[in-house]
Amino acid sequence: MQSVGPSPYPTPPYLSAASDALISLAGRANRVDHLVEQAGGELLFPTIPEGLALVSVGGYGRRQLFPFSDIDLLLLCRNEELPRDRKPEISAFLQKLWDSGLRVSQSVRTPDECLEVHDQNTELNISLLDQRFLAGDRPLYAALSKKFPRFVQSNRDALMRNLVRLTRERHAKYAGTFYHLEPNVKETPGGLRDLQFVRWMEQLRDADTTRLTTPEAPDDLQQAFRFLARLRSALHALAGRDRNLFTFDAQDALADNGEAKDVAAWMREYYRHARAVNRAAMRSLEVWDAQSSALFAQFVGWRSRLSNSDFSVHRERVHFRLPQQMESAPELVLRLFEFVARHGIRPSSEAANQMEPRLGRLREYFEEPRNVWPALNRILSQPNAPLAVRSMHETGVLFALFPGLEQIECLVVRDFYHRYTVDEHTLVAIQNACSAPGAYGELLRELPQKGLLLFALLFHDAGKAVSDAASGYEGHVEASLMAADAAMRRIRMPAQDRDTVSFLIRNHLELSSAMRSRDLADPKAIHDVAQIVGTEDRLKALTVLTYADIGAVNPSVMTPWRSAQLWRLYLAVYRELTRELAEERIAESAARPGAELLEGLPVRYLRTHTDEEIAEHVALEVKSQARGVAVDIRSLEAAWQLTVITGDRPGLFALMAGTLAGFGMNILRAEAFSNRRGQVLDTFVFADPARTLELNPSEVDRLRATAERVILGKLDVRELLKNRPKPKPPSRKVRVPAAIRFDDEASATATLVEIMAEDRPGLLYDLASAISSSGGNIEVVVIDTQAHRAIDVFYVTAGGKKLTVEKQASMGEELRKVCAPA
Amino acid sequence: MKKIEAIIQPFKLDEVKEALQAIGVEGMTISEVRGHGRQKGHKEVYRGQEYTVDLLPKVKVEVVVSDGRVDEVTKTIVEAARTGKIGDGKIFVLEVLEAIRIRNDDRGESVL
Repeated sequence: MQSVGPSPYPTPPYLSAASDALISLAGRANRVDHLVEQAGGELLFPTIPEGLALVSVGGYGRRQLFPFSDIDLLLLCRNEELPRDRKPEISAFLQKLWDSGLRVSQSVRTPDECLEVHDQNTELNISLLDQRFLAGDRPLYAALSKKFPRFVQSNRDALMRNLVRLTRERHAKYAGTFYHLEPNVKETPGGLRDLQFVRWMEQLRDADTTRLTTPEAPDDLQQAFRFLARLRSALHALAGRDRNLFTFDAQDALADNGEAKDVAAWMREYYRHARAVNRAAMRSLEVWDAQSSALFAQFVGWRSRLSNSDFSVHRERVHFRLPQQMESAPELVLRLFEFVARHGIRPSSEAANQMEPRLGRLREYFEEPRNVWPALNRILSQPNAPLAVRSMHETGVLFALFPGLEQIECLVVRDFYHRYTVDEHTLVAIQNACSAPGAYGELLRELPQKGLLLFALLFHDAGKAVSDAASGYEGHVEASLMAADAAMRRIRMPAQDRDTVSFLIRNHLELSSAMRSRDLADPKAIHDVAQIVGTEDRLKALTVLTYADIGAVNPSVMTPWRSAQLWRLYLAVYRELTRELAEERIAESAARPGAELLEGLPVRYLRTHTDEEIAEHVALEVKSQARGVAVDIRSLEAAWQLTVITGDRPGLFALMAGTLAGFGMNILRAEAFSNRRGQVLDTFVFADPARTLELNPSEVDRLRATAERVILGKLDVRELLKNRPKPKPPSRKVRVPAAIRFDDEASATATLVEIMAEDRPGLLYDLASAISSSGGNIEVVVIDTQAHRAIDVFYVTAGGKKLTVEKQASMGEELRKVCAPA
Repeated sequence: MKKIEAIIQPFKLDEVKEALQAIGVEGMTISEVRGHGRQKGHKEVYRGQEYTVDLLPKVKVEVVVSDGRVDEVTKTIVEAARTGKIGDGKIFVLEVLEAIRIRNDDRGESVL
């Protein structure tokens, strides 16, 4: 019985490197070799001189035996009868190994069985990649080892597909991230298994007919292997068994044993190595994707047409065309991530390598206050924003842009629920927000500025590093706010947007705390939350943020139960906000001096308008006194806004809606409020699909003049509308069914009419006209459109009272006609 | 031994937990459940879509105690969980035949 010389499968290079952990791995393999050969020599081969060979496979085969790893042993048999006929000898042999303290995990196979693709047992196929002859019938083994490379070559695709499937399943089990607070050093993404995966894939890919080669591992992977191997050995030694979970307890115990001085620094080192391994594994998976599917290849080909003058797309990766341009124009980096966010294509590793040496320069550049927000907002508003933010994190650009976030890089905050480091938690939360399902997804789409929500998520836990220990559970909020505020000022975010972000960060725990500790059926509790939240838009953003934040704690926290609770809270607060819209008015005492305009407007007005806007409204009111009306039109970032102040008159809202429709404008949002003196303040935000106003500045004046004449009764709005082309009948396959609801409970003084209908030009005019012509007086209006759905809420009275049942019936009839024109 | 199953309002969980810990009940099992008693569900309308909420979210707290402690524990839960309104929940007391600690096969009340 003798061990045969060099196997055709050389030891991986990172194993031959000198390192104590590695020597002990190989040392254990040698000792086990000796035990196996001895037991075989005693109990097997005297009576079975031929037809049976012992082959080490898997980790044992590649001489990587951790202190308590299983011993993967292949009993290679000439035929299927042998194991049956020789059961007593084989049992005695295995028992002897067990008695020597080895956990043997044996497989009994014929050479033919080793040369089959086992879809249900990929581990067997893969373990044979690391086979090493130990003892027994050498010619029998030679037959296998001769055929094996050919087998691998001709079944390469099937083997790789199975291996990829296993790997993806394993990654999914760990939510696809390596930033676990208590990682499994073998199985978690970025762990030892991934390192093997990378090697196996290269081995399979390069398989030629004569021999399998083991590729050289790059330096960072060799370092990672040494780190992880040492760690796994230490974990085994600590537990006294095959235990690979790097728990908080194990982290502390090993640090006490002298493995590390500072646990936090040690964990950061762990994540650094895991990141290198994870990156290699992901690259390997992508190469497989690119090679494996013809359809994918076509798609990739098609995607390369996305290339532009700054960036090119090759093999589903974005490359800089002229990386040196980063020197003179650092914003190029932001455009790269905008490209990533728009098209969902990651930066190439070349691009990452080209950015890396320039990070210091980028940091200096962004340290100066600059108008970076528009570029960042474009990134955050794209469909693939989460991928872009993740890529910015991976390449270090995120920290160059926001050094304040560096404190949470790989930061471990230990508590019972959190599974990820703080930076990973942040990235997962951003992903969660953008992929929120069902009703939460709808809320996200309704947000006027998704970018602000994502920015708030980016910073919501930025203060975690500094203050929780000192000031308790919610102490980090203040520190997060400060970090965000400094960043927002530096990138010149407008004041109003800064307010929104600060609001979201300050209150990011508010809804979860209400869910936990308040009676959601108690009007007082809901009123309190509504007071904090203020407006529907903020409520929507905060609800999506809460949904995303809770789910990013760990994948199982956002149970259907919790999701339903959060939705219940959202509904209750939403209803409270719309109720108070009609009922809670600005009192005399609260109104400012000289601003009689405000008295009697809904309280919400104060929350939805900045001081500057209020001052402008007051000035507009002064202007209106001369002619009884004043109209202001201005351009917003992506739309236009018309504000009108005048004395109230029946049908006014309809007239304005009609005027805008007559100019071909598409109304996106509208509000109509009236104050105690009977003045009306209507605001319309509208899109200009034909860019009439933008291209012909004189049209702005004409619109203003026309609006004034319509209000003063000098022009019939129907004349304007006559000239407009009739809207085309909707050709979409998906029709939005109209829904009309009357609610007498929602307000003490008015009937709420809620209309959801397929949006079309002129719809709002038709609806408002139908209400006015059925004798309704529109008190308050809130209009919203999402995609092609209009959601309009009117608070309507008739003769100063709520609508009677009969009135509701006749008005409902009229409205239905308008929503679904024959 | 008795098992006490309390179905309570979710927002009362912290108070109930604290009250139980204050009288020395350390072990408990908490689950998120949905259901309804006499407080039937109701209709909700959101943006014109009407839907029925018939199962309301509640929290179930389960503790097992010796017979002698049943009154004290149920009283504690009632006090901590009561708001006086419909929907406060219910408590059920069940007979427990045996308690076994899995780690070492200990049996009986000492396990609690």
